[in-house]
Amino acid sequence: MVERMIDAGAALAGLDPASLTAYGDRRGDDAATTAWRHRALAALTAVPFPDRVRHLWRYTDPERLLPRRLLQPSGPAPLAAALPAGPAVRLEPGREPRLNDAARSCGLVIAPLFADPADRELIGRAVPVDHGYFEAINAAAFGAGLTIRAPRGFGLAAPLRVVVAADAGADVLPRLLVIAEDGAALTVVEEHTGGGGGGCVIGVTEILIGANAEVRHVLVQRWADGQVGHLTQRARLERDARFFGATAGFGGAISKVDLGGLLAGEGARSELVGVALPEGRQHLDHHTLHQHLAARTWSHIDFKVAVAGRARSAYTGAIRIERDAPGSEAYQENRNLLLSDRARADTIPELEIHTDDVSCSHGATAAPIDPDQLFYLRSRGLSAPAARQLVVRGFVEPTLRQLPADLRAELENLVDARLARLREVG
Amino acid sequence: MNLPTNERLLSCRDLRVFVDDKEIVKGVDLEIRTGEKHALMGPNGSGKSTLAAALMGHPAYRVEGEILLRGEPIAGLSPDERARRGLFLGFQYPVAVPGVTVASFLRAALAARLGREVPVREFRQKMQAAFDVLEVPKNFTGRYLNDGFSGGEKKRLEVMQMLLLEPAVALLDETDSGLDIDALKIVSAGVNLAARAEMGLLLVTHYQRILDYVQPDIVHVFMGGRIVRTAGPELARELETRGYDWLADPAPTATARG
Ligand SMILES: Nc1ncnc2c1ncn2[C@@H]1O[C@H](COP(=O)(O)OP(=O)(O)O)[C@@H](O)[C@H]1O
Ligand SMILES: [Mg+2]
Repeated sequence: MVERMIDAGAALAGLDPASLTAYGDRRGDDAATTAWRHRALAALTAVPFPDRVRHLWRYTDPERLLPRRLLQPSGPAPLAAALPAGPAVRLEPGREPRLNDAARSCGLVIAPLFADPADRELIGRAVPVDHGYFEAINAAAFGAGLTIRAPRGFGLAAPLRVVVAADAGADVLPRLLVIAEDGAALTVVEEHTGGGGGGCVIGVTEILIGANAEVRHVLVQRWADGQVGHLTQRARLERDARFFGATAGFGGAISKVDLGGLLAGEGARSELVGVALPEGRQHLDHHTLHQHLAARTWSHIDFKVAVAGRARSAYTGAIRIERDAPGSEAYQENRNLLLSDRARADTIPELEIHTDDVSCSHGATAAPIDPDQLFYLRSRGLSAPAARQLVVRGFVEPTLRQLPADLRAELENLVDARLARLREVG
Repeated sequence: MNLPTNERLLSCRDLRVFVDDKEIVKGVDLEIRTGEKHALMGPNGSGKSTLAAALMGHPAYRVEGEILLRGEPIAGLSPDERARRGLFLGFQYPVAVPGVTVASFLRAALAARLGREVPVREFRQKMQAAFDVLEVPKNFTGRYLNDGFSGGEKKRLEVMQMLLLEPAVALLDETDSGLDIDALKIVSAGVNLAARAEMGLLLVTHYQRILDYVQPDIVHVFMGGRIVRTAGPELARELETRGYDWLADPAPTATARG
């Protein structure tokens, strides 16, 4: 344990108070931001390095996710990639967030993190600085930071797209704070792209949903081959708030994604759906957490994984129902389809229930494709790869169907593209 | 389909089917020609489904002997290649594929059979024509394939697929079982339509019920992995009154009853 901490310390060389101050100065951070970074650094020294024996890290080696070049000045900024149509923001290493006109005029307040002094009160509410080792690194050394705020009662149906570009040659630490004030509604599609071998992303997204407000958040991870990363997303829901989170995991070499909803206000409802399709030698590790902190809260999770080649998936799904959450309901389902003999999927449900008068259930399966299904489809002329593709598509279909219609097509296209590729590589 | 009349569509010679080392089908000779309706009748467990699945190329079976589809050997081909060449198996227990809609499945199957993309219009027309024969309700297309279907719905969808895909030869395994009388009539109409379209048909059954609606040209009795008798439609009526037992013995007259 001690040895590991020293290893990690060495790996993090450069993350000391002096260099952190210098980093902030270079970026032009204000005093409040710098102070927050230093508090995070202090927390980081107190947060133990993840222990492989502890459940959440049983399947992924944290050392593989350690950043190597923290606080280094970025290289020349990459050529500005085009922003998609509709409201969009692009976060790139070494650049200010870029907004398109639609984002500027959509009515959401979109600004660098800490530009509004109010951010200081809100940041860390859903993902505290000491949430975990990687979250503390992000808090101390985050690069591009962005606040997205839907003012009280304001509603925007069109999704705001946030494109976070990884970098094959550098560490990227994005940090998003999404705020829906009371009665507001917004949709954020957070898309992680780019990067490649040698790059590491450590991202944190906090979503604060006020009373009676609604947030839909789609997290798409489509890094280039070889990229590694750790993404944490937490939504905190106040009274009667609603959260719909969708995640799709496709890319990178090693990816750990931790998603969750904290149901802090009475009557809050959180639904998460996920699809992950690792292939080759990819390693995708997902956690979800639904923590019920208030009475009559509701949560639902449907997470589907199809593993091809020699890839590996781990899913840990935690439900915690606290003492003050009577009358709550929680459901969690994780199904895994193994597409080859060497594919592997682990699924670990963790249920912690501290009050009676709740309804909580879960289901978990891992199985290869049913050979009878393949024979049936092949007897109708479908080749073996086409039959497999159809079965996998069917496997994820009921999950994709839970996506609101306006968000579904894009994920369906990504899934279909991945399945077409699986069909070629076999 | 333009088949020369009286072409040999499906032939097999001394066909043997093994599961592991157990021989289940023990030397079958069969010849089905254009537009012929064959009934293969036999008690439960005699190996009828094994024969049908092996003809379709089920990977669980080891097969010895010859299988010719329109004169070409197919015993070494995959199930999908056999299907594309015009062999069809209506399953005794159609398999559910959750999440895959009937429409998307049928379109993929038709494209595979025709060896080309099928434009939506053409697909819809062909699908509707086949649905009409089987009196399948429109909302079928959006349902997941065989998922939560009643027995009768599954069997109707099997026969519907046969009409859509226009195979040269269809093997229908117990397509009559689990049907009420109305469904049986509808399914039989589909089968008769296929025969008029010159398909070769092998109706596998252990009841004679369907034969009230579909008149077979040739009836085979299948017992213990072998065809023990082949005759005209009168054999089916004889089986109805006498059962199978009198055929089980190598010297049938010795044990013949009533
Ligand atoms: N895949 C298999 N594995 C083991 N036994 C099998 C398999 N397929 C068929 N059999 C056996 O072969 C025999 C014939 O079965 P089947 O072909 O289903 O008969 P029928 O269709 O005439 O009722 C049965 O004893 C069955 O258990
Ligand atoms: Mg049978």
